[in-house]
This record gives sequence, structure tokens and C-alpha cells, in this order.
Amino acid sequence: MHLRRGALVIAAADALTAGLVLFGVFVALPARWWPVDTAAAVLASVEVAAAVGVLAPAPWARRVARTASVIALGAGLSTASALALTASWLSGIYGPVGRGGAIVLAFIATLVLPYLVVLPIVQLLWLGSNRKPVRALPEI
Amino acid sequence: MNPGSLARWLFAWVLVTAIATAIVHRMYSLDIDGRRPLAIVGSVWSDGAIIAHSVVSRAGERDQGLDAALASHPGATLVYENIVAEGPVLTWFDWALALSFVPGRDGISASIDGKTAYLTPDELLNHQAYDKGVSLPAIQLTVGLDVPLSLALLSDRLGRTAADLVHHARLRRIRVARADGNESTTAITPELVDKSTVRAAAIAAGLYLARGVDGEGRFRYLVDAPTNRTLPGYDWPRHAGATYFVAQIAALSGDTEIAYAALRAAAYLRDHAMLDCGAHRCIGEGTRIEVGSTALTVIAFVEVARTGLDRAYALLVPELTAFLRAQQRADGEFMHEYDRDANSPIDVQLLYYSGEAALALSRAHSLLGNTLDLEAGLRSLAYLVGPGWKFLGSRYYWGEEHWTCQAMDDLWDRAPEHIRDPALDFCLRWQAFSRKLQYGEGDAPGDADGAYGFGPFITPRLTPAGSRTESALATLDAGLRAGIAPAERADLERQIRRTLALLMRQQLSHGREHLLADPNAVAGAIPGSEVDWQLRIDYAQHSGCAMVRFLEYTAN
Repeated sequence: MHLRRGALVIAAADALTAGLVLFGVFVALPARWWPVDTAAAVLASVEVAAAVGVLAPAPWARRVARTASVIALGAGLSTASALALTASWLSGIYGPVGRGGAIVLAFIATLVLPYLVVLPIVQLLWLGSNRKPVRALPEI
Repeated sequence: MNPGSLARWLFAWVLVTAIATAIVHRMYSLDIDGRRPLAIVGSVWSDGAIIAHSVVSRAGERDQGLDAALASHPGATLVYENIVAEGPVLTWFDWALALSFVPGRDGISASIDGKTAYLTPDELLNHQAYDKGVSLPAIQLTVGLDVPLSLALLSDRLGRTAADLVHHARLRRIRVARADGNESTTAITPELVDKSTVRAAAIAAGLYLARGVDGEGRFRYLVDAPTNRTLPGYDWPRHAGATYFVAQIAALSGDTEIAYAALRAAAYLRDHAMLDCGAHRCIGEGTRIEVGSTALTVIAFVEVARTGLDRAYALLVPELTAFLRAQQRADGEFMHEYDRDANSPIDVQLLYYSGEAALALSRAHSLLGNTLDLEAGLRSLAYLVGPGWKFLGSRYYWGEEHWTCQAMDDLWDRAPEHIRDPALDFCLRWQAFSRKLQYGEGDAPGDADGAYGFGPFITPRLTPAGSRTESALATLDAGLRAGIAPAERADLERQIRRTLALLMRQQLSHGREHLLADPNAVAGAIPGSEVDWQLRIDYAQHSGCAMVRFLEYTAN
């Protein structure tokens, strides 16, 4: 029962992340730019695949979920690294960024970290600690 | 993946990212050593253009080219600039190259075939090359260096094409300091803001506008300061606002030339912009009229009449305020447009106009005593600080309320408590919000202490600094009458002084005359920003009106 509930929570978080990525890029951004649009579409697909993988009662499902989590984590860590490098480049050019700059960068980081770093890590840990498919659980 | 290996991967990522950021920061930071310049650039300027330049080993060193330029251009200015640091730039992307230069502080150098050419901040300012690189239309923002222009200037100097420079030259950013150490813009601090300095600055701003009023009464609406060229465009609300300020300065200075300029500008409104709007008179042109033009004209005409420049203008005010009242809805809000073909108001709302109308009605009542104007002004104020700004998050997010708070102060003695108390509370909260957006020392790389903005990478604009100071002084004035706490008063005073010091530092043309084709023509003007030297009439108006309010505050 607990495992099933955990799977539902994680799948819901994946679906929410997919929705946020799609909304953020295809609704909130005022213009289209293919590199960002493509990355967003791929990322949203990965998140949906992870949600399906966590819930689906099939042997391949966990592999899909795990692969999707690794891709999402890779994207999150790459984004965080890119943000950190951009911030260090900007502070190298412009000097101390002050409170305003720190707030802007922290705000951007908080938009990325929960969905693309924390969630995939939790998911990978959860998948690692529960190796049996969800359907095999006697409580269900 | 088990927890142990995941943790190891994450640790490795943190380590690699930390090392990479430290390397990038170190690589792009400048080691500034003012005592040992890397090079000294001597430039000869005449009529706002550079006519000779040379790299010399020390300031004052004789150079044939510089000497010849000085000899052939009597009155030319020789300037030495020390290159005190240099660093790499990112050339992979156009936007990265454009953002690699601090506006107003960094120049660019290009080296190719053993030759190096420098573009110093003075030259880049003179060509208005800052904040022209990357345009973000969605937020109406342009940042970064104008790279094509800079490359064109460098290629001219090196005798190569711009494409050659992009592909083969070594581009660097350079940090430059004046060799004589005379950075006069740093001289004005908040502590030096007093009656005499502010009075001089206000009159200089008024004189700048007055000089630009032609025989017909039109202002030089938009001027490119380095070339002193008048640029196209005109706008009735800004004409009216500038007329109001010039009338204030005429009264403050007693200068007859400024008084005549104010009268010509007022007459231009009266003779060229007053139209029939149904049963009333309004200001504008064409069939679609905006309320702001009429509101600011009322404020200007009241000032012209009140200060005794020409009391006959009082006679024009009632038919204009009748138009404003007819545009007001039952809830106090104004319908901001009027269709002269259909003879009917259009119920749309635009920025600023409601506050302007409230202030106009208040000023008109002060001059003429029509209670209908007072009632309309009070209803407008009550709406603006009440239902007009009430939504989830309205205590954390604000519009531009500088006219609202001036109306609040203006109406203070005539407003009932149930209107004026919430209005003061509203304005105090807005000022507290503004202080959160006010740059402090070191918050941005340029001269930004006292400015308002949204981050260190965007050069702050000076017009909001002026308009917010107008409203801060109005809030302070009303607050003192209401007995606000000493701490609140001290916060407001500090906020005001810091911004006034900034405006006076940036007022043209302290120590930068050589960059201007005609320094006398633009003396006293307030530019758009530290690096945007286009001069629109409302820039000087808002900053100047803030200065006049400061003088009234200190007089009281």
C-alpha cells in the first residue's frame, strides 16, 4: 500500500514537472526558439515516461523510469552548472552582483532545483530501494 | 543506482562545478591597479569628436600627432585615459560579446598583426554604443555593447575589415580611468545635497528646457547630446509637463528669459492643442484624445497663473477641468480616452493618467475654488489608493504611483480622514517598496547609488529616479503633517538625498564637456541613464520637479 502510494506521489510529481516545463516554455515565454522548444519537449516527454514507468506494471517500466530520472537529473545538473558558470562569468565581468543579482540568481535556481534535481534524486533512490515491480506487492 | 554511487556522482558534480565557476570567475575578473597602467591613451577632442589619439608612456608626454591636432584646433581638449586593467571576452556568441563590457566603465581593444587599437569608454559614450547590444523586446530592454559599431570603429583604426577583426583579431575588454584622477561625477554625495546645490541644479535643468523652446513655443523634444541634434517625435503630455516645470523655475529664478519660454510653451498648448471635446475643451490632436494631456495642461496653466506669469491662463482652466470631470466614472476612476467623432468617452485605462487627473483637479480647486473639482479629485484619490489597487498580492507589487502620491499631498489639508489616512498609508508602503528597489553602493558596477532598478546588469534609468523622488518628497511632506515616526522620516530623507545626489552627478555635463558637440546647448539636461545620452524633455522635468519639491521641503 505504501509503495503504491509512493509510486502515485512520484508519478504525480513527474507529470507536474512535465506540465510546468511545457507551460513555462510554450505559454510563458513570449517567443519561439527551437533549441529551447526542443529541449523542453524532450524533457517533458522524459518526465511523462518516468511517470508511466513508475506506475506501469511491466518489467520494462522501471528501466524506463530509471533512465528518465537519470536524463532529468543530467538536465538539471547541467542547467545548474550553466547557471553557476553564467553567474561567475557575470560577476567576473560586472563585479559583485549585490543583493538584487543574488536574489535573481537564487530565484532562477529555485525554479530548476526542485523539479530537475531533487525530484530525480528522490525517484532514483526510491526506484533503487524498491526493486520489485509495483504489481507484485501483496497489498495491492 | 544505489545511494552510495548516486552520492559519489553528486559530490563529483558539485566539485567540478565549484572548480569551474572559480576558474571562470578568476579568468574574467579584472585585476585593477591604478598605479601601474598597462597603457595610457591620449585623445584630442574638438566639437564633440575625437580628432587625434595616441598611446603614450605617461600623461603629459609630447606626441607629434596630439600636438598637431591641438595646434590645428584651438580650444580642443586633450584627455589622458589610463588603461588600468584588461581581460578576455567571450566571442562565441554575439550576445556574450555584447555583455562582456560594463557600461560606462569598460572599453574594447583589438590587436592584429602587432597593432592594437583602443576604444575607450569616452569614445563609446560619444558614439552612444552602450546598452545597444542585445534587445529584449518583451520587456522593452536593451543591454550590452553595440558590437557592430565598435568593430566598425576599430576596423577603421586598424585598416582592416570588421570581419577580419571578428575572425583574426584578439579582442579584449579594458578598464579605463582618467589619468588626472578627476572623476568629477563622484564629487556629489547625499551629504552635499543642500538648498544651494539643489537650487543650482534645478535652475540649470529649467534653463536647459527653456533654451530649447522655439519662437512658436515648441520644445526640443528629444536631443542627441553628443551631437546636439534634435531627433524626431513629439508628445503633448510631456510638453505640458515640461511647461509646468519651466514655469516653476521661472518663479524660482526670476529669470525673464525662462519666464518668456514658459509663456511661449503655454501659449503653444493654448493655440495649437486646445480642441472641442463635446461640450468641453480638451488637449490633444486628432479624433482620439487622451486624458493625460489635458490633466498636465491644467497643472501647467495653474502654475503659470499661480506664479503670476500670466493670470489670464486661469480663465482656461475651468473648461478643461469640466472635461476631466466628465471623463470620471461613478467609482472615481477616469476613462482615459475620448472619441471626438462619436463624442463619447472611451473607458480604457493607461499608465499615469488617473494620478495626473487627480492632481490637476486638486490644483485647479486650489486656484479657483470650484468644489466640483475638489470632490472629483478626492473621489479619484480614494479610488486610486483603495479599490483601484486591491488584488491578491497588491501589498507586494506596485505600479508607478508618483502622481497619486503628489495628489495625496496636494489634497491633504482638504481631504477627510477616511481618504487621506489610507492614502498616506498607501504612499508610505509604496516608498518602502521603492527603497527595496533602490540601489546602494556596490549594488551595480556603474554610478547607481540612489537609483531604482531590477538588477546589477541593467543600467538604471534616471527618469524613474526623478519621478519617485517627487513622490517621496510629497509623501514626506504629508507624512510630517500627519506626524509619522522619526525613523520613517529619516528613511524617506535618506532615500531622497541619495537619489538627488545621483541626479546631480549625472546632470550634464560635469567634466564630460569634451564629449559634446555643444556643451552649452545641453548643459543642465538630465540624460536617460548614465550611458544613454538622449535627452527627452520629461527627463529634465521629473528630476527638476523633484529638486523644486526638495527646495519647498527645506524652506518649510
